[in-house]
This record gives sequence, structure tokens and C-alpha cells, in this order.
Amino acid sequence: MEAVNIQFAPATGTEEEWNEAYARLADYFRSYQLHNRIRRTQLILETLRKAAGAHAQDPSRTPTAHAIEQARLMLREWLGAIYSDLNLSEAQLEATGRLGFHLAGGPVRWPQFFLDEENMPDDMAEAMRSALRTSGPGMSVSKMTPRDIDLGLIPDVAEDTFGKLGRHPILRYSVLFVIVFGVLGYLYSLFA
Amino acid sequence: MSAPIGSQTANLAMTAGMPPKRVSRTRRATFFSLVGLGTIVGTWLSFIFLSEHGMRMAEWALLLVFIPLYYQLNVGFWTAMFGVWLMNRPKPDPLDLWRTLNADDYEQPVTASTAIIMPVFNEDVTRVYEGLRSIYLSLEATGQSKNFDFFILSDSDKTSQWIEEETAWLELCRQLKAFGRIFYRKRRKPINRKSGNVSDFCRRWGKRYRYMVVLDADSLMSGALLTNMVRIMEKNPGIGILQTFPKQIAADTLLGRVMQFAQALYGPPFMAGLDYWQCGEANFWGHNAIIRLAPFIEHCALPPLPANAPFGGHILSHDFVEAALMRKAGYAVRLLPTTRGSYEEGPPTLVDMLKRDRRWCQGNIQHLWLVFAKGWHPMSRVNFIHGILSYVSSLLWFFFLALATYLAATPVKHELAQSFLAEKILLGVTAMLIFLPKTVILLDEVITGRMFKPLRLRLLTFFSSILDTIVFTLMAPVLMVFHARFVIYTLIGKSVSWVTQRRKIDGGVNWSEIILTFASVTLLGVLWAAAGVAIGFKVGTFAFLVWISPILTSLLTSILVAALVSGSRSGKRVSIFLTPEEYEPPTVLKNMQQNLDEIKDRLQLPPELERHFGLMQVCLDPYVNGLHVSLLRRRRTIDVSRSYLDEIAHRVITQGPQSLNPQELKALMHDTDSVTNLHYRLWSAADHELAPFWSTAIRQYKLAPTSPFVHTLAKQEIAG
Repeated sequence: MEAVNIQFAPATGTEEEWNEAYARLADYFRSYQLHNRIRRTQLILETLRKAAGAHAQDPSRTPTAHAIEQARLMLREWLGAIYSDLNLSEAQLEATGRLGFHLAGGPVRWPQFFLDEENMPDDMAEAMRSALRTSGPGMSVSKMTPRDIDLGLIPDVAEDTFGKLGRHPILRYSVLFVIVFGVLGYLYSLFA
Repeated sequence: MSAPIGSQTANLAMTAGMPPKRVSRTRRATFFSLVGLGTIVGTWLSFIFLSEHGMRMAEWALLLVFIPLYYQLNVGFWTAMFGVWLMNRPKPDPLDLWRTLNADDYEQPVTASTAIIMPVFNEDVTRVYEGLRSIYLSLEATGQSKNFDFFILSDSDKTSQWIEEETAWLELCRQLKAFGRIFYRKRRKPINRKSGNVSDFCRRWGKRYRYMVVLDADSLMSGALLTNMVRIMEKNPGIGILQTFPKQIAADTLLGRVMQFAQALYGPPFMAGLDYWQCGEANFWGHNAIIRLAPFIEHCALPPLPANAPFGGHILSHDFVEAALMRKAGYAVRLLPTTRGSYEEGPPTLVDMLKRDRRWCQGNIQHLWLVFAKGWHPMSRVNFIHGILSYVSSLLWFFFLALATYLAATPVKHELAQSFLAEKILLGVTAMLIFLPKTVILLDEVITGRMFKPLRLRLLTFFSSILDTIVFTLMAPVLMVFHARFVIYTLIGKSVSWVTQRRKIDGGVNWSEIILTFASVTLLGVLWAAAGVAIGFKVGTFAFLVWISPILTSLLTSILVAALVSGSRSGKRVSIFLTPEEYEPPTVLKNMQQNLDEIKDRLQLPPELERHFGLMQVCLDPYVNGLHVSLLRRRRTIDVSRSYLDEIAHRVITQGPQSLNPQELKALMHDTDSVTNLHYRLWSAADHELAPFWSTAIRQYKLAPTSPFVHTLAKQEIAG
């Protein structure tokens, strides 16, 4: 493990901004379940240093934005080395790599080697590569085509009727009212 | 992957499992003769009573309505009677499928490849996955799980639910070391709902498997039963669908417990009776069944019905139609009488039960199209008619009571002794048809102790049965009114939407929902009672009011009854309505319950974060984000423009998830680049740029569990 060098003096940005960037990076690396605080601090400082350089060149963005971008670049480089033999887009590389690190038990087994491209253990890289998962087995496509059911004459007539009624809601409710009032009228005539 | 037909199926006739025609015909002739005789006798007695002074139009109408109702009563009566007889006769049933397995078969390895599929739609993620875990472990315990694969087939359209399903899938696979055994598939568009989801599975992976076990989100099945179902299918290549009897479990409201008790007590004889006369033309109930995949794929794809929803369009109750199509293709559809190993959960409240019935009603009414279609086996038509009748009979019953009210208001004097005798016999026979099956089944239980051996529990069953009769008597007229309404709604074109079935109550009794739902029923009861009183004064006797009083009592008290049965005072403490699964839970259920209890103690986040938990995870957590992007299908083109996605991503960051509608969220979550960038954009944003939701979420994320994947699952890792 490298010695922790806490010298950090950014040329641009306010102290408050860099403190905010520090806090955000701390939360961000914690979200990787890296419980090794020393490694986390190392990563934060390393990232902040790179972010300070980037901020000096482009002060229009906040130190926090630069810091997270540098973390992303570091991740891409690190994963690029692990999955160099796979033809993955950037989004795929990041997604696959992060998931691979989790499934390989990286946060518990190799927290000190997270984003460490130079001292990458072979078994970690191998475990991350072999942790690629798919959500389904290889497809074995079948045709499942509905066969027509001969519904006979009655449904044909009914379909026409329903089609007509469906297109004309006023007609539909008129038919209903005629039936209801017909029945009521008949009942009234019985009582009367 | 699909193993060749092994030693278990060697030298078997390919029609094995299809009951011989001679047996089926004899059984149906006997059954329907008795049903027909009962219906004719009832109709004849009714005619004698009504026609003393000639038949008026209303009396003809009453008789017309009476016939299908009495037919249905007779079908239920004789089904139960044959069931009790089958369960008690010393000679085993020659069609009993369990007898096709001999002692050696149970020792043989299960070689047939089988997919266990669980279509889900916005279900409780914890319940789904803990149920699946329990089934998986039960199957592992049999030592025969090698050729079984599990598929969760999601149509969930709530973003958070979708993400939680993904994370739970990954965590379950990790805990069980079941990668490559449990698969997750999310459809982009839920075309044709559940049946479309199953068809989609069949098209993609159906060829890899010989059998498919279909489960509901609340299903639970034991490994022993699953392996034995495969063994039975292997020994009986003539069976296309084998349906088990799913017993209701895990109820915690009075309604749920009464239903599960009634099902445990009366269900097995009814199942045996159904098996007696349905033979090879039984029904498929959509879940807890095993299906032979090759003929299912070839013959059971569902065409749309003519006309539009609700009467036409996509077939809602697909299971009945699939059973009919399978039978049409020459394969038997059989019931497998079981008392253990196949379970499901029921609706917790009366309102939930009605919501479910509304969907089922529309689905069954749609079958009117199919009754007269060409090529069905006659029994498939009978099954369609019975399905339709199960809801239409409520409307007929309502008509019957309305006509009876009219006839009471315009009475004719009955003077002939024959007329009085016919009335008394009819009343006696009807009471027998309603109550004798329950009485016989209850006596059978008290004598044989099929459910419980200890005498104390048998006596408790006796008392519980009396109480359940009261509960069902109070509910039946209310259900009649609603079912009648549902039938009319369907006929006039009011369709139902596809909603998630609630399986547990979230708190106490929801009074406002109950009052809003049942106020109209109470009002109907008031009007009917007033009419009854008026008739009493008009004709000088209140006999009609007395006759109809059980119905009126039910309608008038519907709000109270609905509240009572929907509450959690269910008699469990005093062992009323006790079922064998509550008294001695099977391992598969016990394991699931233990894990669900463990989850209850998990750390709860603030309600707003809990509501959008999945979304919060996919945006903030690097691993969940990675998982989600990995599972998304790569698409060269996207359905919406990049600038649109950027705009909604900006909105979700600055205004929070509640600023997006479900379609916008879905569009965002379906795009790999957007999901990846959203993760970094959120972490990159300064505090003042973030919506309060995200500021809270980032703060709370420090308190989240060790693994981001365990929020919805118990931690029960298997060793090794």
C-alpha cells in the first residue's frame, strides 16, 4: 500500500468548494462498499489531486463535478485493463465492471486494489471477468403462432353488432335504455 | 438441454394418461344423468307449484331462470357427493394418476428438463423472491433439482419495482449460488398481459425444456410435488396439462382464513369429484400446474377474439382456452388430487375479492364467443359454459329474486294439496342440495380425521364449519349483487384495467373504501325491505318478508360484514378456522414465513425514499446501476430522442422523481446511456443543484445496509 500523502493545495476554487467535493467523494466511494477507510482516503486524495488539475484548466465546472469525473475516468482505465479482451462500449464496460467487482466479492476481498491499475492481483481480475452474468440462458427460438378458431356464424353476427355498438356509444346506451324501460314498462302494465 | 425420453417413459403408449373413452363416458353418463334428473325433478316441482292457476308470463320467466340455477346447484351437489364417495371407497380409483407411479419410479432420477416460470406484475418483491427461494430450496432437498430452471418473467411497469426485482434476483442467485439456474426477464412492453408473457417465454426458451411449471406470484410448491409431477408427466405422455389443487395459505384476515379453511375442508372432495367426471378434459387454472411444452407451443397460442374489449379482444381468462386447445390437439388435461405441496394466497378483503372477481367475470364472459366454435371436445364446451354460468348465475339469481318479489306482490291462492306438496318437496330438496354436501364432508372429516387426527381439532373443525356457513350466508347475496353488476358491466362494454392483486392488508380496515363500495348494496337492501313490507301490508301476510329476510339481512349489513371479514380478528388465537397448514406448516411454507419475518425487522428508510427505493438505488448505487445497465437489452436505436432523455434526466435531478410521470421514468430507465450518465450527473451535482429528494437520499445512503441488494431479501446464504 502506498503511503498516504495528505498534501493538497488546489490552485483554483474555494476551500468550501473543495470541502464539498471531498465530502461527495467520500460518500461516493462509500457507496462502493469500501469499508477500508485508509484506502478510501487514499482514493479521495488521489482523485482530488487530479480534479484540482482539471479545475485549473476548466474553472467553469465545480470541483465536485471534476472530482466525480476523475473518479469515473480512473474507473474506466482500471476496468479497461481488466476487460481489455472484451469489446464493450463505455457504458457497458462501466456497468459490467462495477457489477463484476461486486459479484467477485471485491469490496471485501480486494478493497485495497480498487482502482489500482498497477498492483492488480491476477485472481481479482480473473474473478471479475468470470463474474459476468446474464439474466437468461441462450435463446432457443420457437414459433408460437395462434391458429384461427372458427367461431361459427353466431359470433360473426355478434361481431358486426358489437362493432357497430362499440363505434357508437350513444346507440349502445340507447339499446340498453330501450331494454330497461321495456322491462319496466312491462312490469308496470302487469301491476296497473 | 432437453434430455431424451428416459427409461421412465420407455415402452409407454403415447396416449397414457388419457382416460379410456369407455370409463369417461360411463362416468359422465352417470354424473350428468343424476344432475339432469335433479334439475328436471326440481323444474317439474317448481312448475307444479307455479301452474296451479295457469302460468303467467312472470311465472314462465321465473321457471326459465330457475332451470340453470338448479342445474348449477345439482352440479355442485353431485360433484361433492362423488368426491366423498371416491375418497372413501375401498377400491382405489382406476384413473388415479398417483397409481401410475410405482415404488421404483420414486427412486429414478428426474431427467426431463423443466422450467418453473413465475410471471409477475408489480408484485411484492420480497414475497415473490422469498417464495421462490423456498421452492428452490425444497427442490434442492429432493436431490433432483439438476434439470429444473427458474424464470421470473416480469411485466412490472413501476420503475422502482422493476429495479427491486433485478436487485433481488441478483442477490437471491448470489445467496443460493444459483446463477445459471434462476433467470430474470423483463419485457419492454407487456403485450397481452400474463398469457403474452408466458408465450414470450415459450418463444424464447420453450424449445430448451420438455415441461413448464407455471406459478403465480403468490404460489408456493414443494420440491417433492414438483418432482413427482414431472414423474407423472413422464409416465403419461398423453397428458398435456396436469393441474394441482392449490390450497390457500398465509391468510391473516377473517375472510382469508374462512376461505382457506373452507378450501381445506371442502376442497379435496370437490377436487376428487371434479376429477371423477372431468376425466381427461379438466380445466387449467393458470398456475400451480405443469404443461407439456411442445404441444403447448404448437397448439395453444391464443388468437384475439372478435370485437373490442371487454367482450372481445385479448383473451383474459386464457387458462380455460389453453386447456381446451390442448385437448383439441389430442392431449389430456388432468387434475391431480393433492392435499399437500401446492399453495397460493387469496385476497385479504371483500373489496379485493370483488376486484379479482371483476377480472375473472369479464374473462369468463368472453368465453361466450368460444362456446359455439368448431372443433372443441364437448366437455371443453361444458367447461366454458360452467365458467360463464359461475358469474351469470348471480344475475339469474337476482332476476329470480326480483320475479319472486313481483309474484309475492301479485299472489295467487294455492289450494291444491299437490301444489303444497310440490312446494314442500322442492324446499326440502333444495335445502338438501345446498347443505348436504357440507354436512357429509364435515361428518367425513369428524369420522376419518383427514385434516386433523386429534379429536379436539376435529371438534373445532365442526364448529368452524358452522361459523363459516354463517359467514358465507352473509356474503353470498352481496356477492350476487356485485357479480350481477359485473356481468352487466361487461355486456355494456365497461372494461377492467390490469391491476396488481393485493395479497396482504397494509393496515387496519379501510372504512372509506368499504362504505363507498357497499353503500349501494345497503341502499338496495333498504329499498327491497321497504318493498317487502309494502307487499306484506298489501297481501295481508309477511310470509314473503320472512322468506327473503336472509337476503335482506345480508344486503343491509353488507358494510358491517365487509368490515368484519376484512379485519385481522380472524379467530386464529382460539384456533377457529384452523387449517392443517397453520397447525403443522409444511417446510416450504415455514422457511418462507421465517424469511418474511426477518425482513420485517429491516431498517426502514423515510417513506418517500422507501417509495422510490429502486429508483434511488439505480441512480446512486454503482453496483445496482451496473446491474441494471447490464440487464438492459442493447438497442441500436432508441424510441425517443436524446434531447428528450436529457431533458427528463435534468428534471429528475433538479426536481426529484415525483416530477416525472411513469412513462418518462420508463423511457429514462430503458436507455443504457441515460442510466449510466444519470448516476454520474447526480453524484457530480452540487448540493444546491439537487432536488431535496436526492440530498436526503445521499445522506441516507450512508445508513443503508452493508450490501445494496439485501433491502428486499432475507440474508440466508447457503454454505459451500
